[in-house]
Amino acid sequence: MNHERTNVPEQRRGFSVNRVSPRSLITRGASALGLLVVLASCATNAPQDTWQPKGPNAKLIDDLQQPVFAVAGIVGIIVFAVIVYVIWRYKDRGQPIPEQTHGKPALEITLTVIPALILAVVGVFTVRAIFDLARTDDTELVINVTGQQWWWEYDYPVQNDWGITQPIISSGQLVMPVGTKVLLRETSRDVIHSYWIPALNGKRDAVPGRIHTLRLEADEPGIYAGQCTEFCGLSHANMRMEAVALSKEDFAKWIANQQAAYQAPAEGTLAKEGEAVFLNQCVRCHQVNGLKRPDGTLAIAAPDENVWSGAAPNLSKLMTRNTFAGAMFDLLRAACRDDVWKAESAEFGAKYLAGVDETCLNVNDLRAWLRNAPAEKPMYANPALLTETNGKYRGMPNLGLSESDIDKLVAYLLTLK
Amino acid sequence: MFKVGSKLFLGVTGFAALNLVAYVIFVERLAIGGVALSIVFAALIGLSAAVILVNEGDDEVQPRDASLTGASMWPIITVAGLVLFVFGLIVAQVYFIFGIVVVLAALAEWMVQSWSESASDDPAHNESARRRLLHPIEFPVIAALGLGVILFSFSRIMLAISKSAGAVMFIVVAALVLLAGVLFAVRPSLKPALVSGICVIGAVGIVAGGITGAGVGMRTELAEAKAEGHYTHRECGAEKSKYFDKKAMKTLSLRSNVAAVVELRDGKLTAEVYGFQGTQETISVPRANPVTFIFRNYDDAERRMVATLGAAMAATASADAPSEKHGDNNETCTQLIPNGAEQALTITYNKPSIAQDTPFTLSVPGIEGQSIEVLVP
Repeated sequence: MNHERTNVPEQRRGFSVNRVSPRSLITRGASALGLLVVLASCATNAPQDTWQPKGPNAKLIDDLQQPVFAVAGIVGIIVFAVIVYVIWRYKDRGQPIPEQTHGKPALEITLTVIPALILAVVGVFTVRAIFDLARTDDTELVINVTGQQWWWEYDYPVQNDWGITQPIISSGQLVMPVGTKVLLRETSRDVIHSYWIPALNGKRDAVPGRIHTLRLEADEPGIYAGQCTEFCGLSHANMRMEAVALSKEDFAKWIANQQAAYQAPAEGTLAKEGEAVFLNQCVRCHQVNGLKRPDGTLAIAAPDENVWSGAAPNLSKLMTRNTFAGAMFDLLRAACRDDVWKAESAEFGAKYLAGVDETCLNVNDLRAWLRNAPAEKPMYANPALLTETNGKYRGMPNLGLSESDIDKLVAYLLTLK
Repeated sequence: MFKVGSKLFLGVTGFAALNLVAYVIFVERLAIGGVALSIVFAALIGLSAAVILVNEGDDEVQPRDASLTGASMWPIITVAGLVLFVFGLIVAQVYFIFGIVVVLAALAEWMVQSWSESASDDPAHNESARRRLLHPIEFPVIAALGLGVILFSFSRIMLAISKSAGAVMFIVVAALVLLAGVLFAVRPSLKPALVSGICVIGAVGIVAGGITGAGVGMRTELAEAKAEGHYTHRECGAEKSKYFDKKAMKTLSLRSNVAAVVELRDGKLTAEVYGFQGTQETISVPRANPVTFIFRNYDDAERRMVATLGAAMAATASADAPSEKHGDNNETCTQLIPNGAEQALTITYNKPSIAQDTPFTLSVPGIEGQSIEVLVP
């Protein structure tokens, strides 16, 4: 076999080659790598960083992924280095094509066995971690989590050990005690969503017609951010969540407050007028437990008749939360929000339980939301798009409220604590 | 310009065009079949163009011995396919599609056979060329068709005979297959004809049984259940079905979303809720989302579980759990089930508990003082 090849002049190949010196190549590569490292370390405010576990479940995952990442990194560097060496060593210099051989059993077996062994070791630890994360027999607190476009609902079943004597319902922020094995029972009302608080555990899909469980446990009081991680429609990117971990004492206070009876605004106040607006407009979808109509009957919301998913956030105790609109917006102004988020562990509970008052209310975003919600968060509120949903909304429509009504509503919502 | 090859392809292309036009006019204008035929037509245009462009067939055709051309069954099968095709145009789409498949397959076989027979003057070489080209397609297709016929026949047998006879039949057939496998393995010197004979006898037996089973029809209870509609009986009154939803726990979709398993044992009604340890006195379920309860009866008497939905549910009783009025409340329930049986009940609570004067409950008529409260926040 003739392995000689025709040495075609570069000009005849139809292109020219700019030769780069090895030193220049190394310099460029090192610069690119350095820039990459610098850019990677730019994120100082990264509340959804998967590399900063704040609870035993997330630590379990982290303890697994750190060595796997190291091993994968070493393997990756070796492979990369070999590829670079081979490219450099055997690049086209017009040399004859070497003899072509087939099969090298010893090398092939080695290259098969080593990755297989590495994967087997990784597999053993991974399976063990998966089983540990799937445990439900040591649960201390159960919370039902229901996803729908584009917000999360949390309801706390009756659990007398925690003082929960009647179901509690909330949205946007999941409140849980620290150092407690919390079990989320996830499902969905419309499409598949996925619940993920990176600092506390991995992600778990919320699927219509199924109940999936997810363990959460936080070591320290604080707020842990998350994000729906299964594409679920127009506002998927705005479907956020926050897990709020309170000390057990503070959690008991939160429970007690959530079960406290509804306090109607005083007669003759702006808030009382807002209650009337709420009864006329909002109660079609939003429930406020204990709210009564002028005739004394309980006002029961009917989101099942107006919203495609069949549900809208229950606004009882709205101002005990820090977020609204699927945790897309803060109910607290920036300064007050920072005060809560950056509070020391010992002070966090008191600051969070203080809720939202008039001085801290993020009134601009709240008013904008009430004025025209679809303008603030993409939702299927255009009547032309509702034929496929039998006239039901996916998300909150524009209610056409007047500025006066918005004033009244804001005053009323501030009383829901 | 137009030689044998190009004429053949142009003819087939024209036939495909006729097929497409006939399908669009007589069967359905906008259907997947029309799209498929359009693709076939376009592909044949391309092939015809390619044949013409490369001057295939322009070479001088060598006179050959007419005796080299063997008998072919493909013209007959093509005609049979055409008959099916026309029959399908009049009667049903399935025959039409089957006819197209038969015609296309027969044409392909016919064309390859014609080509291979004139490939050389050596008949053995020609046959070898045909086999090399078509066996990789023929064998898998024929095997799949044969397996499909056997499976379909076996399913007809199992639907026709009783459940206990079905179990026996399954064991016997499996044992025979195992026996034959063992025989073939320990006696590799068996004559191929004997092995083929055993396999053919087995296959013919199953197909014959399947034809008989299809003639007999489904066994009585299956026929009755099909006529009744398994999932249409949800009344709390007199039983209307003997076959309603008895195997609920074996239904994946229900089992995967069980809100609670409610058991009646020793006169006590208890609920086990996924995620909770021990039995629960209340069950909390989300509003406006279907939830499924499994009721297991361990009482000696036949019992049913009744879900009280409250007065406020009247206007919005969900479609999957139609309720009927009992006094002031709406109720839905399982059917009476015997000791050891279980049944699922799926309910959507569209209103919260606070909307009710009376709580949502799960109870069993005849068992006093025992009920599970369902809380809907």
